[in-house]
Amino acid sequence: MMFTRSVAAIPLIVQITLRQLLGRRRTVLLLLLAGVPVLLAIVFRAANDADVAGFATGVLDAVAVTLLLPIVAVLFGTAAFGAEIEDGTILYLLAKPISRWAVVAAKYLGAVGVTTLLTVASVLVAGAIEMGPLGEEGAAATRAFMAAMLVGSFGYVAVFLTLSLFTRRALLIGLVYVLVWEGALSTLLPGIANLSIRQFSLGVANAFWQMAPDEARLTPSTALPLAIILVVVALVLAAWKLMRFELPGGTD
Amino acid sequence: MTVQLPPNSDGDPVLAAGPQTHVTLPAPAIELINAARWYGNVVAVNDVSFSLGAGVTGLLGPNGAGKTTVLHMLAGFLAPSAGTVHVLGRSPNRDPSVYRQIGLVPEREAVYPFLTGLDYVRFNARLQGLTNSDQASRDAIRRVGLEDAMDRPIGTYSKGMRQRAKVAGALVHDPQVLLLDEPFNGMDPRQRLAMMDLLTEMAAAGRTILFSSHILEEVERVGNDILVMVAGRLAASGDYRAIRALMTDRPHTITIRSSDDRRLAASLMGDSAIFGVELGAAGLSVRTAHLSVFRRLIAGASRSAGVRLFEVVSGDESLESVFDYLVRR
Repeated sequence: MMFTRSVAAIPLIVQITLRQLLGRRRTVLLLLLAGVPVLLAIVFRAANDADVAGFATGVLDAVAVTLLLPIVAVLFGTAAFGAEIEDGTILYLLAKPISRWAVVAAKYLGAVGVTTLLTVASVLVAGAIEMGPLGEEGAAATRAFMAAMLVGSFGYVAVFLTLSLFTRRALLIGLVYVLVWEGALSTLLPGIANLSIRQFSLGVANAFWQMAPDEARLTPSTALPLAIILVVVALVLAAWKLMRFELPGGTD
Repeated sequence: MTVQLPPNSDGDPVLAAGPQTHVTLPAPAIELINAARWYGNVVAVNDVSFSLGAGVTGLLGPNGAGKTTVLHMLAGFLAPSAGTVHVLGRSPNRDPSVYRQIGLVPEREAVYPFLTGLDYVRFNARLQGLTNSDQASRDAIRRVGLEDAMDRPIGTYSKGMRQRAKVAGALVHDPQVLLLDEPFNGMDPRQRLAMMDLLTEMAAAGRTILFSSHILEEVERVGNDILVMVAGRLAASGDYRAIRALMTDRPHTITIRSSDDRRLAASLMGDSAIFGVELGAAGLSVRTAHLSVFRRLIAGASRSAGVRLFEVVSGDESLESVFDYLVRR
């Protein structure tokens, strides 16, 4: 009974989560951000620059994977629970006879959904504009980076959503993680590749279009299992934490 | 609130003796046994014990007394640091299945602003797994008197309307236990009376209802039984009227400024309701046990003495001082 009720609750909570995430001003901001790779594609095309590798590295990797993806993911991932904890509406979900894993699953699906939609669409449109005329290689590179966005969305959102259950500063910590760990450190220390969501994403992208080895350090067969393990561990941790959810108290 | 066995014909309490007189008492719906909760060095609730069955009970106390902490422990959102908290015989902490039988109205005002009132209640009904969620939601909306506004987004609601939408969402699954944190906040007097009637009606149908309030008068109409909390402890519990009498019959000090304090003092001294008067720089201090008697007395006394009143201030009327008095008793 509890199980069926919990499964039935998932689409309802996803729906509420989508309305919460998309009803906010941040969505407009993120739409503008998602437009940046598209804008660059238009510029490249206007300059008649027909270089698949150049656009892939200079725009799709450097802008879409490195900036757009983690920023969209950290904002939606931390807001999925963060906003509800902040205003107290989380109680309307938790004071229900449904398992907490179902609440985590629903919040995750909602946040992953909007993150994927925005980031994959950005790459698709940008790729079609700049690399559409470049034949099969251009199409392969576009597919590769769409896959990177997909894997990255699942990975980043899982981590940031879980983080938001452990600290109220999830957004700040998430941004520092993206900029310091993924940005600076992983370029300096190649070993970090095994612990970098960005590298998991690029590793999976390698299956569709071969990247330079210093850009994508992992093979698809290593990157995909690591990404899956990361998501599972993060979500189990989130459900564990939500089961122990306590209201901030002491002030009456 | 304590369970007593009826006396036999000799007036002695009947004791369970032998299998033929085996008495089984129903387990209380709500039970706290020496429950405490602290945060680091701050004690929010200290050694509180009570048990409640069907009926409406008011949890009364000034802000910061620990009412919300007690309600959150009962709702399973705070584990007691010591002692036991049971709802319907189970620990509500870390057991979401208990919410099939519990309705919770939290103090925080926020409700999903983009949902209409009806959609919000229906959302609650569906998460409860009700098969007749639409009908149950409309019934709940009707019970809180929100039919006219049910198709409007909650974002456009007044505070009192939001409060009623929250209550409708909490009772849509007809819970055995209803916990409400300051439910009358933001309601106008008419809405307040309607809500009190609703709670009384649910209690008559065998539900256990516990609501918190920091306003004495709010309890008056619903709560026959009240629990008074002060500074994390249970200061008093029992019949509302008895506790109310204790609160109003305590000594009051009233400070008066008038055109002639000395003359007014002499005129007041003769009445038995007045314990003492004192002339000071701030004016005339009067001590009395009965505020209502004093109110009538002062008007007559000033008139007969030909004294004009500039100011009459009751010095210790804050709820905190009332509770404080109860604790010291």
